[in-house]
Amino acid sequence: MTDVSAPSNNVQNAISGISLRSASLSYEGKVVFEDLDLDLPVGHMTCLLGPSGVGKSSLLRYIAGLSGNGAEATVSGRLLFNGTEGSKADVAYLAQQDLLLPWLNVLDNVMLGSRLRGVRPDCGRASALLERVGLRGQEKSRPASLSGGMRQRVALARTLMEDRPIVLMDEPFSALDAITRFELQELASSLLAGKTTLLVTHDPLEALRIGHRLLLLTGSPARFETPIDPPSEPLRDAGTVEVAALQAAIMERLTAAKHQARAASSNAQIQAGQ
Amino acid sequence: MNVSPAERSNNARAKRAAAPSGQSNAGSTTSILEEEAVKSGPDLRAAAARRERLLRIILPVVILTAAILGWEAMVRIKEIPHYILPAPSLILETLVKDWAVLSVSLVKTLEITFAALAVAVAGGVGLAVLFTQSKWIEISFFPFAVILQVTPIIAIAPLILIYVDTIPVALLICAWIVAFFPILSNTTLGLNSADHNLRNLFQLYGATRWQTLRYLRLPAAMPYFLGGLKIAGGLALIGAIVAEFAAGSAGRGAGLAYRILESGYRLNIPRMFAALLLISVTGILIFLTFSLLSHLMLRKWHESAIKREN
Repeated sequence: MTDVSAPSNNVQNAISGISLRSASLSYEGKVVFEDLDLDLPVGHMTCLLGPSGVGKSSLLRYIAGLSGNGAEATVSGRLLFNGTEGSKADVAYLAQQDLLLPWLNVLDNVMLGSRLRGVRPDCGRASALLERVGLRGQEKSRPASLSGGMRQRVALARTLMEDRPIVLMDEPFSALDAITRFELQELASSLLAGKTTLLVTHDPLEALRIGHRLLLLTGSPARFETPIDPPSEPLRDAGTVEVAALQAAIMERLTAAKHQARAASSNAQIQAGQ
Repeated sequence: MNVSPAERSNNARAKRAAAPSGQSNAGSTTSILEEEAVKSGPDLRAAAARRERLLRIILPVVILTAAILGWEAMVRIKEIPHYILPAPSLILETLVKDWAVLSVSLVKTLEITFAALAVAVAGGVGLAVLFTQSKWIEISFFPFAVILQVTPIIAIAPLILIYVDTIPVALLICAWIVAFFPILSNTTLGLNSADHNLRNLFQLYGATRWQTLRYLRLPAAMPYFLGGLKIAGGLALIGAIVAEFAAGSAGRGAGLAYRILESGYRLNIPRMFAALLLISVTGILIFLTFSLLSHLMLRKWHESAIKREN
């Protein structure tokens, strides 16, 4: 069940955008996940759902190569991008916080990556990307003068500016209001088309709207449940019966996982008490 | 309520006019009043804001002037001799009359102050950067900084004056010791307070250690550094003055503190006060300059300096 190729989407690529082989991560002696395998199809948006604290973000940070920097973390396993041993150079990352540098203006924030690589930044492309995310004329503004939604658009433009084949997103829209979130989901879905994307979210509807495939991560240590492949291509209409039924099914599974986790932790407490 | 007298009498007239027509019109009367209030609302609020801004400047000026006038009056009425308490007018007169002597001393004190501040900035920021590169360096050397900071400068100054032959260098070291710590400790805090998510982002972008310092940690430390600079500016002046006092007559021809000592020996109390006034004004100017600098550098992006609607 952990070997996830994508039959329903008829993608039979020999290589995967992202592959994990027996990936393990423990943090301060507690196993977050162990012996995890994962294959994400090239050019598809995969959404990762699961109860809070299950290790979704940890898995994302593992793939981004960011989990090894604490002394308390133990990391092992193989990570392959497009069939070759992983390199960070292929990955762009979009977080829940916009992570803009407040002292730089919008344009300089978008071109941060080029500047750090010592490449002459492509001003025209950055402006064009800003226009595509609906921020024309805001090039010279500082992040502090923008709304939360606008800041996240800048962050999206910066992620796209990097033009990496793989994009990792960690609840990028969860701090936004419903309308803005809706708009940004559509925007991200169209702008990230063709890239291998892994989106961590706690919103089943978001996953159902823009994901090619939905993964559920549950339990401790965390395991993947059977993936969900919604019919038809994204962007899906949230109002259809199928989507509503799938959403209900996901909610049911997440609720069950949460109850299980709660029971397990209270059992552990009782045992620790004895 | 911010209702001007004219407004109030208008309202009263409106009420009086409405009264004879009896109860049936009461509803419409209040609605007229409400309309008036709504219309005049923004104007009134703007007027109140203007008044507050004005009071903010006028009030301290008035109180300070009153205190000085009271001082002047007391000296004149009680006929206090000028060698005990000079009147403000006499202090000002002395300041003008002795400007040639005092200005030379002021320049000397300022030289020490700013030289010490410059060394403190260079040393404080440099050491802070070193601290953040390795926690072992920080653990090893931070105690020294704390020891230097907590030992009263007035107690170390005589020792430094014994060990260091050149008086200006000795004064500089004293002023530096006092000014150094706020810059070091604030900048260290600032460098460490860069958001760890941003540090991850820089790591993902493949930024080198130097780039992370240059483009992330140093800018993030800027507000903290500027806060430290505001404190250190005043402290450098105090350090310089204290060191001059400790140097005493050995600091002949030196700064303002020496003038105060000298005037004390000669019972030239007005000149003592004049020198004191110069020190205070200098301290205030240093503080204001650094406050302005800090505001100008941070107003575009830092929470402490951005103007908000509310």
